[in-house]
Amino acid sequence: MAISVAARLAARRALEPLPLLEGDQDDGTLNKTLLGYVWRRPGKGWLLLVGLGLTGTALLTVAVVITVAKGIGMWGNNIPVAWAFGIINFVWWIGIGHAGTLISAILLLFQQKWRTSINRFAEAMTLFAVLQAALFPVLHTGRPWFAIYWLFPYPSTNRIWPQFKSPLMWDVFAVSTYFITSLLFWYLGLIPDLAALRDSSSKRWMRRVYGIMSFGWRGSARHWHHYKIAYLLLAGLATPLVLSVHTIVSYDFAVSIVPGWHETIFPPYFVAGAVFSGFAMVMTLMVPARRFLRLKHVVTPRHLEAMCKIMLTTSLIVGYGYLMEHFISWYSGNAADFYQYANRRGILHGPFKSAAQDPYIPIFWLMVFCNVVVPSIFWTKWGRTNVYVMWFASILINVGMWCERFVIVVISLHRDYLPSSWTIYKPTWVDLSLLFGTICFFSTLFLLFLKFLPAVAVQEVKELRHELDTEHERHELPEFSQEAIHPMELEVGEEDEQEEKLR
Amino acid sequence: MKRLVLAEFASPEPMVEAARKLRESGRQGLDAYSPYPVHGIDEALKLPRSKVPLMALVAGLTGAAGGYVLQWWTNAVDYLINVANRPAHAWPTNIPVTFESGVLLCALSLFFGTLFYFFRLPRPYHPVFESEEFRSASLDKFWVSAELKEGEDGQDLVRTLRDLGARRVTQVAEET
Repeated sequence: MAISVAARLAARRALEPLPLLEGDQDDGTLNKTLLGYVWRRPGKGWLLLVGLGLTGTALLTVAVVITVAKGIGMWGNNIPVAWAFGIINFVWWIGIGHAGTLISAILLLFQQKWRTSINRFAEAMTLFAVLQAALFPVLHTGRPWFAIYWLFPYPSTNRIWPQFKSPLMWDVFAVSTYFITSLLFWYLGLIPDLAALRDSSSKRWMRRVYGIMSFGWRGSARHWHHYKIAYLLLAGLATPLVLSVHTIVSYDFAVSIVPGWHETIFPPYFVAGAVFSGFAMVMTLMVPARRFLRLKHVVTPRHLEAMCKIMLTTSLIVGYGYLMEHFISWYSGNAADFYQYANRRGILHGPFKSAAQDPYIPIFWLMVFCNVVVPSIFWTKWGRTNVYVMWFASILINVGMWCERFVIVVISLHRDYLPSSWTIYKPTWVDLSLLFGTICFFSTLFLLFLKFLPAVAVQEVKELRHELDTEHERHELPEFSQEAIHPMELEVGEEDEQEEKLR
Repeated sequence: MKRLVLAEFASPEPMVEAARKLRESGRQGLDAYSPYPVHGIDEALKLPRSKVPLMALVAGLTGAAGGYVLQWWTNAVDYLINVANRPAHAWPTNIPVTFESGVLLCALSLFFGTLFYFFRLPRPYHPVFESEEFRSASLDKFWVSAELKEGEDGQDLVRTLRDLGARRVTQVAEET
């Protein structure tokens, strides 16, 4: 025999998934580690970060006040680049907000056990990201107080109704439905954990606050009976919803006739990009959070690796989208389309050579680098298991996805059909403050969530632990599975036993 | 005044067994409490099939129909907007909003309908909360409760529950 038994054993073990929960956990230890930090005094680092976040939020407030008081002339938008930072940031944030529902709903329906430790976290991220997203179109209307009757069909004294044939109206319905459904889904999952916080509190006022927030949940079997079904149905609803939201966002572009926007590939390409950036944001937040909240036993390398694989897959879809756009621009034989993409790449020939000086060319190549080249690192096991690598990659992916929206919105518009109106767009300090301010506001909300609510769905992790234990006891798991057994358990004696079996 | 006997179990399986035995002995007003949904308890308590899916279906269809009618009535009947002489009632453009309003109403009914109608929450007070030990029901222990009949002293029930493996048995009475 050329290969030793030990080597074969090691190879088989390497192919088995890593554990979902590390260490010898029971309900007591899970309560202590997953609920305990809510009762701890906030650390200096947390206070410092919240302080920074609030400072940035103050800047956001200033930018919002200036925009509303003086009008959107304070932004860098012009004609033909009438859509710029407002829409870029809207699409970027709403894309980030797609991972939450994907993780909680689609992975729930596919019975992916690894979703359990990260779903609460990702859902909270979704909510906060959609909040930031909603700010931009509202401000972009210029007079947000009129936006109510432009956008919502309520019987106003003007006796006019919104135009439902416009993709922008579809967007209003899609985004508001998405926000409400995500909020309800998140809160429904949170109720049992809020009850657990109520019951593990030591002070009366804390017990009151969490008691009110949990609506008096008592974990009755008669409630769980309906709860399980309601949760599953909400997941089933959220699945087509999450796909519909970014599809409809892509209609904002695809339904128009601007070269670079009018494309049938947009819906799937936008959805994949949204999932891509959403997972990247979950990764950016999760890597530090699991360290500082001491969640490494529930958010294991298994979870991180799975997220890296999803990022790699969606990066390939996005890369395919880029390739196809450029191919079709040549294949269609449409001069405006051809020029649009040649101008993005900066690789021009013939009569278009003069446009090779376009200042936005580096943004296109930065996008390609961040979204296609960087995620290739996840082909290697090293990239998928090294937290520093995946953390930096996830940040670059988010930069890349922002650049993608810049490329789609600004580069397409600044080279419209009419060459006489071609111009260059530059963001003003108000634009930049809005972008930076929303990042800070998002971080502040997220830090508050991490402090006051359980960041991991405790109830679901307990259920998973019990399930894995039962399966392990009944020998329903594959022989080499590490799902429930902790590597520590695989002591020498057991290895001998397994070697025997292999022979 | 409602009186309950509460029994605590260390793990889910004996709790399910105890609930099954009590139900089979003909006891009314049974319930079980656990930090996470326990497999087999629905069947042990013989809970009827949940009507939540029916409610969600009705709400979803109502939402979708409402969304469609809203678009048709506002844009094709009450306030016509003529853009390039396109038809006032063009059903394909109504699909997204119809879908979204169906989902919206369905989700709202799933959350609020379940909470208010099926759970009868918010309910900050419940007799089970009279017992301080009952805090463990949302943390790491599994409880069974049984209602006592008028005039019953409950000693037999306490003994039965202890025999079924309860680690702790207490009696609580509703505050009046």
